[in-house]
Amino acid sequence: MRGEGSTEVGGLRRGAQPAYAGPIFTHLRCAGGRENAAPSFDLKRSVEQLLQHCLNALILGGTYALLGIGLTLIFGIMRVVNFTHGELYSFGAYAMYMWVMVSGVNFFVALPLAILLGVLLGAAIEFLLLRRLRGADIDTTMLVMIGAWIALQNIEQLSWSGVAKSIDSPFPASPLVLGPVSVSWNRLFVFVVALALIAATYALINRTKLGKAMRATFQDRETAALMGVQINSIYTATFALGSGLAAAAGALLGPVFVVYPTMGDLASLKAFAIVILGGLGSIPGATIGGFILAFMEELGAGYVSSGYRDAMGFLLIIIILLVKPTGLFAQKERIG
Amino acid sequence: MLKVEGLVCRYGKVAAVRELSIDVRAGELVTLIGANGAGKTTTLKAISGVLPAASGRITFQGEDITRASARRILQLGIAHCPEGRRVFPYMTVRENLEMGCYLRSDADQVAADMRRLFERFPILYERRDQAAGTLSGGEQQMLAISRALMSSPKLVLFDEPSLGLAPNLVERTFEIIKEIRSQGVTVVMVEQNAFAALELSDRSYVLEQGRVTLTGTGAELLDNPHVKSAYLGA
Ligand SMILES: Nc1ncnc2c1ncn2[C@@H]1O[C@H](COP(=O)(O)OP(=O)(O)OP(=O)(O)O)[C@@H](O)[C@H]1O
Ligand SMILES: [Mg+2]
Repeated sequence: MRGEGSTEVGGLRRGAQPAYAGPIFTHLRCAGGRENAAPSFDLKRSVEQLLQHCLNALILGGTYALLGIGLTLIFGIMRVVNFTHGELYSFGAYAMYMWVMVSGVNFFVALPLAILLGVLLGAAIEFLLLRRLRGADIDTTMLVMIGAWIALQNIEQLSWSGVAKSIDSPFPASPLVLGPVSVSWNRLFVFVVALALIAATYALINRTKLGKAMRATFQDRETAALMGVQINSIYTATFALGSGLAAAAGALLGPVFVVYPTMGDLASLKAFAIVILGGLGSIPGATIGGFILAFMEELGAGYVSSGYRDAMGFLLIIIILLVKPTGLFAQKERIG
Repeated sequence: MLKVEGLVCRYGKVAAVRELSIDVRAGELVTLIGANGAGKTTTLKAISGVLPAASGRITFQGEDITRASARRILQLGIAHCPEGRRVFPYMTVRENLEMGCYLRSDADQVAADMRRLFERFPILYERRDQAAGTLSGGEQQMLAISRALMSSPKLVLFDEPSLGLAPNLVERTFEIIKEIRSQGVTVVMVEQNAFAALELSDRSYVLEQGRVTLTGTGAELLDNPHVKSAYLGA
């Protein structure tokens, strides 16, 4: 079994070798692999390399899942296609920049503050825009959300200029080396916090009264209202929660990458890819979808071409829409 | 107890209920009968506050609830068991019942009520951790009724509780509704099965095209020639 699997990987690699030998081997070296990139096939090295890719994907997947869960919650419960999702992501990153780099707040204090600001901005968008659009048709709502997206992005550009900013992180520069693979401390932190936030979201949805009301609203809004659920409050809570998750993803990844006004656009597109992949409204779908997209990007960038990394999401959408248009998860598995 | 005066409800421009008036006294079992589209469901929705009334006045125990929210109306003691059961399909039986007492904060009393319902409907107890959508139609109806009772209401609106059930279950449902009434809860029930509805009820209203065209005790209406030809197929 094992031998077969490895041969297959080796075969894949060998076929496409000349095109990407360079970047991959640099990568391997960083990862603690052997020096000297011989063009001949090396089983140990390629297994190590695969492991490194998988680890990178796992870590990226956590934040993708956060983004996806936030968007799918909003769509599932409110039936709103939230074009501002990516802006909440960049808002989280800028909030982090503001606290850490401008105000000099401690990194670990700044993070929850940034997420909280995201929650508040989400609640404000819901309260000021969406609440007025209840009962409006979906096109109107979509147009308003597109307008909000453009407005938020331009406000960011005005406030912080278009120049990319970086955020200092308190983590050691040298990575954590685990045998053949390595990971930066910052990314590890991102992963752990993302997992904790995902777990907290699950607990909120499944174990609390608010979560139960959110699920009831998702499953049957009118009957939920008959039970005494205040639909308006549930909508505000949902939008605030979804926005908080997007802002958290931004606040976590801002210090890993750089922060710039249009950074949310790609995040938005990826979130949509994840949500379509997992099935609209499915939280487990968005969680698993986030990891699938991360694996596709990481393996695609590693074994096909790093230039196509961001195209993987669209490829995924196209495949899913062709094969299973309802997403990977059937209606019955949706929880909220 | 419940008074509806000159109620008008519209879907867009079309009026589904036109100047409808009904009156329900405490402890009564009142039924609304009428053909498909007569406006029965619409009337119940207006009473429970999920559908705004275009005009007219609804009062409950002297309080004007015409513009009150569904939440407020439930707090005042009107529960609505909607048409088509409408259990939350992906929630467990227990969670459905918990939604029924969403507004209650008397935890001990809630636990006691839930225990009593489980005793009355052992099948729901057996299925308590099962998704409600996987229950049979009859079980779902028991659940929908139980969920409405979990709010410990003074008045329950039942919309076609016998819809889609096998004859023996229809009987059972009516038995349960009589039992609820005998415990002092006022009942307003919409029912397609006119014969059963008239037999069961203290008083009945016949709805046609959004208006009340006839009213009287069950026995009176059973003898009425128009009711006989239009609703009893005699
Ligand atoms: N959501 C809606 N939008 C538009 N029209 C509606 C809507 N719901 C009901 N109607 C219309 O209002 C009228 C009354 O409907 P209602 O559901 O109250 O009838 P009903 O007496 O409950 O009928 P049934 O016995 O079939 O349940 C019907 O003509 C129906 O087509
Ligand atoms: Mg009806």
